[in-house]
Amino acid sequence: MSYKKKSTRTVKSGRKREKWTDILPRYLTFISHMRPILRETRRIIINLDADLLLDTEVLDKIRQEEEKRNIRKVRALSEFSAMYRSNVYDIIKDFIIKYRENIPIIDIKDYILDFLHESVDALNVLRHITNPDELNLENTYLYQLVKFIESKLFPRGANLKIIYNKLIQESIDFYECQRHILQPHTFYREKLENPDYFEIPGISPKIYQIINNITSLYNLDPNFGEFPERENCELPIILKNDIFLPYVDSIANPEEESIEKIAERIGLRLLDEIFLAPEEDFVELLLENNFLRENKQSDGILRYYPQFSNETMILYYLAFASQRRGFLSKELVNWISMNFAFLIYMSILKWKLSDENIFYAIFKDLQTNEKVLPYLMKLICFPNYLGLDKMKIRDSVQYRKEIFNFIGSQIDNLKDLINETANYCKNIDENNKKN
Amino acid sequence: MSEIQDTTWKELLKIFQDGLEKAIEELQKRDVENIPGAKEALIQRLNNMKLHFPKNNGEIFLKSINDKIQNAFFPNSTNFSEAFEKILKSRTHEQDFIINELLNGFITSKAKAIASGSQGPIIDRIVEAFSKRNDFHIVDHQFFAMFGDPNKPRHYVKKQLEELVNMFGLVSKELVIEKDVRRSEEKIYTFYTFPDEIIKILEEKYLIIDEKLGYAYVSENFDRNVFICMFLANIAINRDNIEKIGGSYTINGISAIFALILLLSFMPKLRADETNPVLNDPNFDEKNMSIIPKSWMMKQVLEPLFEPLIKIIAYRIGGGLWLSKIIDSEINKKIHTQIRFLLKDVNKWILGNLCRVEIPIFIEISNIFTEILVGYDEQ
Repeated sequence: MSYKKKSTRTVKSGRKREKWTDILPRYLTFISHMRPILRETRRIIINLDADLLLDTEVLDKIRQEEEKRNIRKVRALSEFSAMYRSNVYDIIKDFIIKYRENIPIIDIKDYILDFLHESVDALNVLRHITNPDELNLENTYLYQLVKFIESKLFPRGANLKIIYNKLIQESIDFYECQRHILQPHTFYREKLENPDYFEIPGISPKIYQIINNITSLYNLDPNFGEFPERENCELPIILKNDIFLPYVDSIANPEEESIEKIAERIGLRLLDEIFLAPEEDFVELLLENNFLRENKQSDGILRYYPQFSNETMILYYLAFASQRRGFLSKELVNWISMNFAFLIYMSILKWKLSDENIFYAIFKDLQTNEKVLPYLMKLICFPNYLGLDKMKIRDSVQYRKEIFNFIGSQIDNLKDLINETANYCKNIDENNKKN
Repeated sequence: MSEIQDTTWKELLKIFQDGLEKAIEELQKRDVENIPGAKEALIQRLNNMKLHFPKNNGEIFLKSINDKIQNAFFPNSTNFSEAFEKILKSRTHEQDFIINELLNGFITSKAKAIASGSQGPIIDRIVEAFSKRNDFHIVDHQFFAMFGDPNKPRHYVKKQLEELVNMFGLVSKELVIEKDVRRSEEKIYTFYTFPDEIIKILEEKYLIIDEKLGYAYVSENFDRNVFICMFLANIAINRDNIEKIGGSYTINGISAIFALILLLSFMPKLRADETNPVLNDPNFDEKNMSIIPKSWMMKQVLEPLFEPLIKIIAYRIGGGLWLSKIIDSEINKKIHTQIRFLLKDVNKWILGNLCRVEIPIFIEISNIFTEILVGYDEQ
């Protein structure tokens, strides 16, 4: 007979190490290997006579010597360190070759030292982005940056109205980013509805098209029907069939079958199984934001005329997803947290590195990204931060490749947000110094 | 142009005139405008179009389609690099949306789009693979390592890569290694890159060649739309080979989008009252945007205009061959009513009004019309 206490929960294998104190060290692993390499390289270059830099073979020899000192036993780590070191030295070599005829070598040396100094600084911030016991949580970079970006793209609020209004305010500058975080590039894995449980998927290109069609039909050819909850009021309604009319060859059948669920996510409901009309709560939001115009008719009936904008329903979707953030689909959780992680990472780089820093390329390299961002994504999902289901973050290498590919396809508006967040980093730093 | 072709052209102009008349009739029956004077401005514009479009053998169409639309998005050339260069030069932030929409063709309506859903992400992967190297090549093995799934057979990725390589007209070179270090077996690496004449075009903006270091790497501007431009150039030069360019779906899709561009360009600019909430909306940029009359978007007004216009475009671009492929079915009529919702990222809904962003192609075509109008007034 065994006296071993059995757990009441069954935990799937591979899902045990998901505590804060498990994930943070993993996030730090590669960063703490990158920093010494850069610091060591900096020390070597400081001590090197500038003229010796002209002979690139000297750098090759130094690198070979440095590689011999590698005593890491974990293969992945030693491989990464070797790759990282060789990239650093290659970049330095290329920089020297390119400019040695135009810039005095002593200045080249100074430039390299400055770039290395900036890079070490950036890694320092990334390393101290938070702390193991989440001490003084509110003062950590991670917390403040997540909250800053969250307030713009995925705000929290006591009710949908508060969230929607916060989003509308930020949409003037960041609508494209708000829309972007709802559109996972792995949309082809999404299910429109799940019969067993409530789940909110991301917006696929086809759903985006359908939402656009609905917006257009409301603005152009609305009918009006009785407002079920209010007497003597008429709501704008459109025919479900009108939305799907142009989709021949049954290519939008799944969307048509799930229209009720899709409608719910954009603040609409199905009336008499054939009309789409705004929900009662949504009507209030629409009126408040001038998306509905009241018109008292001669028969005494109050009619609401739609005057929607592109963002009217997309932002409702986002507010809906934000309010029910515990129920987001796997794809959406991965996509949102990846975008947050990417924004934080890039903002810190933008803050610390000058635009001409030669090492920028290493930081932006897919190989570096995939070592840092997945763990940052998980940290961001913890309850004090975004509060998403971190168990949905996928660990498979293939999946990481799949989603990180799209980091390259960033939009201009994301760059604007990175600049704004980088400025905010400066503010945090100044405040920290004052305190 | 032969006599028979002339007759077709004249017929098409006549059908368009009839369409305009019908649209004006429908317009007069209804009033859906919320901006004073919008309906009158639109009626006046349609009347002007009726009066001026057939003149000089349809000069406005000839100039707008042959010179502007084709030059920007679908060059009339048999030379691939020349066609590619022209499309690439017409890129702006907003016109990129049109280029993207042209790739999708009629994805809204037809399952058989030019580039299917699964190929889209692969284009992003090719861009990523090019930007990872400093010799402006991609290598098949590197591509498989970056994007292949270790748990799935490699031939899926291989097939997709091969299809796209053919579609974009990339050139390949093989490198044979007699003895591979790992297995001591012969190994063949295939390198893909762009043809030399394309590389020369890319050098200006998309490709940085560092002669000192012997590197060629892509700039930040190098993106998926470079490939989409290549793809469009490929269709443009092969326009006579219906099978090669994807059949009648492509023809209908491309003609419809160009028809929409034409119609949007001819819309009158409306002046809304200062108190109109649209003007005060932060998303409305008065310098760069104009409100489209609501009644123009009405099904009853658009339907009689679209059908002849799509045929006109098809005829100008691909002659009788393309014209014969324009589908005149009930289904297509349904689809035509949805064309108005295309180019959704170029036109924006702001508080119930569709606003046109003044992108170069709209301005250029609208200028042709204005010039002819002014010329006529002076006479």
